[in-house]
Amino acid sequence: MLAKLRSLARNLGARGAFEDAMDDEMRFHLENRTADLMRRGLPSAEAARQARLEFGSIEKQKDLARASVGLRLLDEISGDLRYALRTFWRNKGFAAAAIVTLALGIGANTAIFNLIDALLLRSLPVSHPDELLQLTKVGSGAPPDESFSYPMVKALDERQDLFGGVTGFSGATFILGSGESMHRVRGAYVTGAFYETLGLTPVAGRLLARMDDVPGAPAVAVASYAYWQQQFGGSHAAVGQTLLISGTPVTIVGVSPRGFTGANVGSVADLTLPIAVLPQIEPRMAGLLERGNSWLRVLARLRPGVSAADGIARLTAGWPQIAERSIDPRWPPARKASITGVRPVFQPGATGWTYLRGVYVKPLQVLMGVVAIVLLIACANVASLLLARASARQKEIAVRLAIGASRARIVRQLLAESLTLSLAGAAAGILLARVAGDVIVRVISTPQAALVFDLTPNWRVIAFASAVAIVTAILFGIAPALQSTAAGPAPALKNDTRTGTPRSRLLASLVAAQMALSLVLLIGAGLFIRTLRNLHAFDPGFRAEGVLLVGLEERPGRLPASVLEDVRRLPGVISAGVSTHTPLSGSTWSEPALPAGQKLPEWRDTAVFIGASPGFFDTLRMSIVAGRDFTGADTREAPAVAIVNERYAADFFPNQSPLGRRLTAVVRGEPRELEIVGIARNAHTSGLRKAAPPTVFVPYAQLTGNVPTNLSIRVSGSAADLTPALRSLLQPLLPKAPIEVEPLSSYVATTLIRERMLATLAAGFGLLALALAGVGIYGLLAYGVTRRTREIGLRIALGAQPWGVVALMLRGAQAPLAAGLVVGAPIAWAASRSIESMLFGLEPLDPLAIGAAVLALSLIAHIAAYLPARRAARVDPLIALKCE
Amino acid sequence: MPEQADLLPGTLDLLILKAVSLGPLHGYGVLLRIEQITHGALLVEQGALYPALYRLEHQGLLEAEWGTSDNNRRAKFYTLTAAGRKRLREETESWNRASAAIATALKARPSEG
Repeated sequence: MLAKLRSLARNLGARGAFEDAMDDEMRFHLENRTADLMRRGLPSAEAARQARLEFGSIEKQKDLARASVGLRLLDEISGDLRYALRTFWRNKGFAAAAIVTLALGIGANTAIFNLIDALLLRSLPVSHPDELLQLTKVGSGAPPDESFSYPMVKALDERQDLFGGVTGFSGATFILGSGESMHRVRGAYVTGAFYETLGLTPVAGRLLARMDDVPGAPAVAVASYAYWQQQFGGSHAAVGQTLLISGTPVTIVGVSPRGFTGANVGSVADLTLPIAVLPQIEPRMAGLLERGNSWLRVLARLRPGVSAADGIARLTAGWPQIAERSIDPRWPPARKASITGVRPVFQPGATGWTYLRGVYVKPLQVLMGVVAIVLLIACANVASLLLARASARQKEIAVRLAIGASRARIVRQLLAESLTLSLAGAAAGILLARVAGDVIVRVISTPQAALVFDLTPNWRVIAFASAVAIVTAILFGIAPALQSTAAGPAPALKNDTRTGTPRSRLLASLVAAQMALSLVLLIGAGLFIRTLRNLHAFDPGFRAEGVLLVGLEERPGRLPASVLEDVRRLPGVISAGVSTHTPLSGSTWSEPALPAGQKLPEWRDTAVFIGASPGFFDTLRMSIVAGRDFTGADTREAPAVAIVNERYAADFFPNQSPLGRRLTAVVRGEPRELEIVGIARNAHTSGLRKAAPPTVFVPYAQLTGNVPTNLSIRVSGSAADLTPALRSLLQPLLPKAPIEVEPLSSYVATTLIRERMLATLAAGFGLLALALAGVGIYGLLAYGVTRRTREIGLRIALGAQPWGVVALMLRGAQAPLAAGLVVGAPIAWAASRSIESMLFGLEPLDPLAIGAAVLALSLIAHIAAYLPARRAARVDPLIALKCE
Repeated sequence: MPEQADLLPGTLDLLILKAVSLGPLHGYGVLLRIEQITHGALLVEQGALYPALYRLEHQGLLEAEWGTSDNNRRAKFYTLTAAGRKRLREETESWNRASAAIATALKARPSEG
């Protein structure tokens, strides 16, 4: 077998040489034979004739020789392909329709696969990415945890007997420049071993090293290649330049290699800083470097010679020492156990890390199923086109069968045509997928979380598209090819029009299959659209429309009450309030708090805390259902008070009113007694699909220390009108960061992004499926009208009314429609069950979605069928009957 | 000239392998060698020789190399590979077995009784 492949490859590689050699060899034979014959006394002309006669047909021998080394099959296939291209060139309309249909189907599949590839399969552009391991903590009953504290990563990195390198990293946003020119740049904080562990070499200057990640080291940064090109024009003078990050000078020491944008897939780090520099840049966040905060993802590379099993065994054995480093001896035992009681596990780290995987894996799987269905529908359409064309080519095929071509040979020729179409469709589809991928990424990007993916098609994507194309070609090509060669040469050559056009049973089943698949897609799209609408209509317990947010988190200390008064006086402002946290922002604060008299747990929070000023509830339209709102009188000197939400009241004061009762709590490290003065309605502050957590509101004015500060402002006009005034009022309070005004509704949109993506894409693909199915019905009916022209003419001649003819023809569409609905319903039911967890406010058997899908499909089927049916009604009986 | 018999199907490959096993040969040489070793008793269709040679080369049983012929012409010479030698041995054995069996069968007489 190997010898044959080698020989085939050799002969293919030098096809010309093979032919020349064969010529030479046979000529040599003939000349020798002639010479021998002449030696036996024949005259030279007679000898040459005799030699050729004995040899037989040279061309035939050559052809047999080619066949015996496997070249003839290839010759035939390339001949088939050339023939296919010529045929399509003559039938440009047919070819274009088929290729466009296939490009849509294959393109949709490639686009979704490309996203899955970018999110899940693409390796980081680092050396030997397959050696990278991601460290995860498992055990202690909690879900696997990928976060590690800074001291723990350092302790891991010291195990140089096990690791070639261990690094921790986290995405960050840096505020660059000063005054008017302040802007945000995306970046990352990494431990000193980051670049060494990944095995990267600088394009200019040097990369970060362990010496940069020690307390007191000078503040340095590495720029990404793209940022270096964009900001410094790729000049080597960039190295050594100083940037102002949050007012702190940071020196650029080097540029990372082209294509590397950080270890966080989906986001880009333009600037990368060592973690030790963080306290200088963001003093407020200095606590991140301490033992209690797990915020770093960890990638590691084992020392050469250490196997993964050996590595994990030794790491597990040494875990107590490593855990010790990130434990504070003063912690309660439960908290200590959360670190000592877990077990480290290695996972493949070649593809880096991204939270997006958890968010998008399921939707992308659903979409992969959706586009597969679209492709099947497209296949059915192309198969119908081929069937229709096959009846036109009946004679050509019959002639070829009659002069001795085998059926297999003709089926192969027809499949070569299918493959040509399908590969052309795939080529166009890959281009389409590139564009579609960018559009999808834009749909799921928000200002809060801009996503950046490398969507350049790689070998995996191209291999995927090619494999899909080949499977597709077989799917849509085999049935028409078999059917058009089944009859044999006789009927077509006898010019028998009754059998000359094959019956359309196959065509009708294809259309029925399209209907069934379209029904599945349309019901799915309906469910996703209804889910999105339900979420939009859902009352989360606050009103986001008309509320602007200004984050003042970079500002140390509490906001003076006078600033809030100034904001309220701005024209267009209805109300304004201050709070430590705003709904849906993603950051929360929790504390232990229980009814007075109960013992607080040592290390477990029982409630979400929000510090709020008077006006906060009013601005967000969060209602107080009992008791009172906070007032200006709730100052630090006044008694400490709290408002709890209904959930907290129900959990901790079952069957009694909490009003007037007292809470024991720890608020920002201080033990406090709080009097409950009000009950707030539950609000879905941590996500529309998440139930309201037990929440305790405390007066902003009664908090101490550096509390986060966010302004919520209800306005009557647009954000743009008020932004300049807010900026000039608030910027002086925040000298180190730019003031940004964001509508709260954009956070709502961000939380719905997955649902919006699914609804948008499912609806888009559903429409595509509907259009393809409409074309399928149209084709079926148009074909039927052509085939039955004589019968229709006869009916009209015998007195059939036009509407009767239309109804007769429409019945040809209703049968596959009905069959499709019957077959599609159980498939749709099963498919809806599998997406149940992604729906909101409706059951998988949603009558509205099902009804709308059935209606849309029936409508399209009838519209598409009406055009050919009307043509049938206009058949002139004289012409129809005379054409025999 | 002795009387010539047509080749039995499948025997051409065996004869080519045998001919080449006696020493490297070009295509025409294979023809002459077969004539020589069968004492001209078997008729090899000249043209059929080449498809068979190409097939055997493709299967890795023969190796071809360009060299110079006796009359100083460039010619393609075939030699037996290790796989070819093995195949020749196997085919010879099975041929011998088969022909012995057929010979025995043909010698059979009606049994007495």
